[in-house]
Amino acid sequence: MKKMNRCIITLFVAFMCLPILVTLVYSFATEWGKSILPSGYTFKWYAQLYQDPQFIAAISRSLILTVVTLAAVLVILVPSIALVAIYLPKFDHLFKPIVLLPYAIPGVVLATGLMRTYTNGLVPLFAVLSGGLFIYSLPFMYQSVRSSLQEIDGTRLMEAAEMLGASKVYAFIRILLPNIKIGIMVGSLLTFSAFFGEFQLTNMILGGDFETIRIYMLRVMKVNGHLSSAVVMTYLILLVIISALIIKLTNMNRKRSSMMREEAAFKPIVKGSPAHELLNH
Amino acid sequence: MQQHWKRQAQACLLPLAAVLLLFLAVPLVIMIRQSFGDQNGDGFSFANFMQILSQPFYYDAFRNSFFISIYSALAGLILAMFVAAALARMNEKAQEKITLFINMTANFAGVPLAFAYIILLGNAGILTLILQHMGIPLQSFFNLYSWQGLALTYVYFQVPLGVLFLYPAFKGMDQRWGEAAALLGASHFSFWARIGIPHILPSVLGTFIILFANGMGTYETAYALVGGTVSLVTTRIASSVSGDIFAQPQIGSAMAVLFSILMIAVLLVNQYLLHLFRRDIK
Repeated sequence: MKKMNRCIITLFVAFMCLPILVTLVYSFATEWGKSILPSGYTFKWYAQLYQDPQFIAAISRSLILTVVTLAAVLVILVPSIALVAIYLPKFDHLFKPIVLLPYAIPGVVLATGLMRTYTNGLVPLFAVLSGGLFIYSLPFMYQSVRSSLQEIDGTRLMEAAEMLGASKVYAFIRILLPNIKIGIMVGSLLTFSAFFGEFQLTNMILGGDFETIRIYMLRVMKVNGHLSSAVVMTYLILLVIISALIIKLTNMNRKRSSMMREEAAFKPIVKGSPAHELLNH
Repeated sequence: MQQHWKRQAQACLLPLAAVLLLFLAVPLVIMIRQSFGDQNGDGFSFANFMQILSQPFYYDAFRNSFFISIYSALAGLILAMFVAAALARMNEKAQEKITLFINMTANFAGVPLAFAYIILLGNAGILTLILQHMGIPLQSFFNLYSWQGLALTYVYFQVPLGVLFLYPAFKGMDQRWGEAAALLGASHFSFWARIGIPHILPSVLGTFIILFANGMGTYETAYALVGGTVSLVTTRIASSVSGDIFAQPQIGSAMAVLFSILMIAVLLVNQYLLHLFRRDIK
């Protein structure tokens, strides 16, 4: 039985790894397709890629789009989620269905709506694209921020801060936000990797006029497979680093909150409570 | 005072409300309005919808998407059940490692995935080549650039997603349940029929629906792999809205409306089933 489980998992991992490994080997192969093994190995595709000004431009475009949209999400969305969770619970039921939004309104549908509304040129298409991405960041951000708020018991934290004389705005900015920092960071990283790899809305709304990394990838794929696999590997390594950061932060959060819970259980409440910890600095 | 503060807090939500209005509500309303209009968006009729439902050029897109999503969701679900069941019986450390691994591979979808499968199974693919050397002409029964290739690439991202959704249910199955049932005289079969399957069924159904919805909404992988050769809902809508030559935005809008209604119906069925089973468990 144990052997069979191990066998299934190994097959699964192999199935998942196979396409990635093939892409990796392809990006180092001089030529592959005439015989079963590549005819030779080289770094020239990577060298060629990193010298291609269009590649640098595509990465920059993706970064600009991602950073601008993420900034808007952090300034507009995150405070609103926290505000609703703590002070306006009656709006909360409006937020809940958005978790299912990407399934109910697939990207192609929203892109259609955006294009039918804004192709008249009233709003720059870059802003339209950014707005569309903003909408799809709702589920990630909502879930990360909400679970973080639950872990620190945000409502009671704010009550405690106010009782100790902090104004609402001060407590919100100086106490609540720093406490859900990790949740915000995890949500931001998730959103970052989603935005950075975005294809559907970008391709429909701006297409070739705004060549992001994924659109560049597709164009190169049709011309030179080796170069394209070098793009894919570069992109994947970047995203693996981001995922590693997400995991590290999530673990930190878990460890921290379980530590707090233990402290609260074994020591007098005052010392273990997050409010105390925070009002100290 | 309290009332005053509440009003201020609500005012802070205005920027978010504006974004939702500008980039979600208004576009959807305009799209729905145009789905009833003519080329210029004027008039009111069901002509666009009638055209979609009567011309194979359009309804084939729905049919293809539907079947590819059903097949890939079923295949993905069955494979994911084996993996999730095996995973739930591994030790804690291995479980954590595999879930991390799944999260990492989630980034490998869309263009990179289509590309990797072209290297593997395309006309000059490596596996195609190996099989040829072994005397199996893959291309005589499998074509990557058709619905077969689409279904296969979909399975690649459906399996890990299915594992993530199913694994908690399998983990919740206590081994002692089996022992207790066996002690009370239940056969292996009746254990699964009466205890095992009823326990995992809600998750299995819910997962199937999520996988199906996921398949229906897929655009990038299909666009990169087959372009327009296999007509799918997503690529057909995209090409009728943003295509330069055959742009028919009003039909695209009507298809998008139908598509969204279909997806919302699927999600409602899911909610209803969950509700049904939850009451059962209580």
